[in-house]
Amino acid sequence: MSVINYKFRNEVLKHNASLSYCYQCSTCSGGCPVALLTSGNYNPRKIIEEAILGLQDKLVQSQDPNPWLCSTCQKCVELCPQKVELTEIFVLIKNRCFKQSKTPEAFLAQAQAVLENGVAIPYSKAILTRRDKLGLPEVKTASLDEINELLQETNFKKHLLKEG
Amino acid sequence: MSYDLFLGCVIPARLPFLEASSRKVFEKLGIKLNDVDGFSCCPDPTGIEQIDRNTWLALGARNLSLCNNNGGVISFCSGCVETLKGVNYFINKDLTIKKKVNRYLQKIGKTYEGKTEVKHFAQVLYENLEKLKENIEKPLEGLKVAVHYGCHYLRPSEIIEWDDPFEPITIDEIVKTLGAESVEYDLKMECCGNPVEKSDKDLSLLMIGNKLKAIQQAGANCVVVVCPACYQQFEFNQKELNKLNNTDYNIPIFYLSELVALAFGFKPEELGLNFHRIKPNTLFESLGFEI
Repeated sequence: MSVINYKFRNEVLKHNASLSYCYQCSTCSGGCPVALLTSGNYNPRKIIEEAILGLQDKLVQSQDPNPWLCSTCQKCVELCPQKVELTEIFVLIKNRCFKQSKTPEAFLAQAQAVLENGVAIPYSKAILTRRDKLGLPEVKTASLDEINELLQETNFKKHLLKEG
Repeated sequence: MSYDLFLGCVIPARLPFLEASSRKVFEKLGIKLNDVDGFSCCPDPTGIEQIDRNTWLALGARNLSLCNNNGGVISFCSGCVETLKGVNYFINKDLTIKKKVNRYLQKIGKTYEGKTEVKHFAQVLYENLEKLKENIEKPLEGLKVAVHYGCHYLRPSEIIEWDDPFEPITIDEIVKTLGAESVEYDLKMECCGNPVEKSDKDLSLLMIGNKLKAIQQAGANCVVVVCPACYQQFEFNQKELNKLNNTDYNIPIFYLSELVALAFGFKPEELGLNFHRIKPNTLFESLGFEI
């Protein structure tokens, strides 16, 4: 059984007031490519409903529906007749998942790469040779000290290290 | 006319041939692109933003703080453009966000006011359509192109502020200007499925499989994209889909800059078209293009 978490509910509403405009018409789910292909297992309307009700355990712990299946195509946001900022709310929920170690591995791998290299894809020797062959200039990426300091400041490093 | 150039991660570090054709096109148009030292990942709006919004804002604002060109900054990648436009949008919309971001930046001796204009390279091409027309040496006659806009080139429209979010025209217009045909197909406005690969590979394959089927049925002989994530999704998965479903996809995928460069008279080898996984040679031969 799901329990209403008032603290979570108030935090979500405070963070994004557009949530309270939702009248559950399901236009979002009707236009969602992932809802269509998963026979409604992934369902943006339901995520919004659970957020309005403050069902943190459903959204973050059991991830039902799974917010990580959103393709970020942003159709729901364009279609919503009430201008609910759905993907903004999904970001908030997924950010919560990250802080509670409920994030798919591939997201963490990308985050780790950015932490270690400043960029998501480090430059391999083969690519450097290929760049040279194509006549492309050398790319001077960010100072790692600077990135490190910034990611410490946003607590990103702490959460990522917690994930191991 | 000149812009700062934000390269991002995927194009320069994995698909550098897309950078080569893009640079050549801008050089030919007489639009100067300034390389800027010290950029990090934009960061990825389908990755880092989803796990930590504050980090996304901080890294994005740091990148924007390094731009110092009055014309603004352009990128060859729709994901980078969405991030940089998005960071601008939130900084200008909400003073508390602006203050928070600048508190982070202060630690590294930087500051960002939210004033750098951000554009997608395809937007700049469209804005220079007349100039583009003047430079065409070899119209791409016979090319039946399935245009894939991708999501982040258009939406959220409140942030992107470019073209129509559901009935866009800009890339179709560019393709037609080059002398090619833009083929209408079902699912044209659907997502390629790349971002869900991180959480569900089968779903991601289903999404791209449906698009490829519609493109094949419509009789297109190639696809054009403006985002490296879409490029990889379309090109890298055809073989796998063929193995899984007994299909015979072998559809060349082009970056918009490659088609423009070909029409400008650049040779395929100058553009690194040999680095494509799906070789366009047979298509070029059938159209009588010199290879």
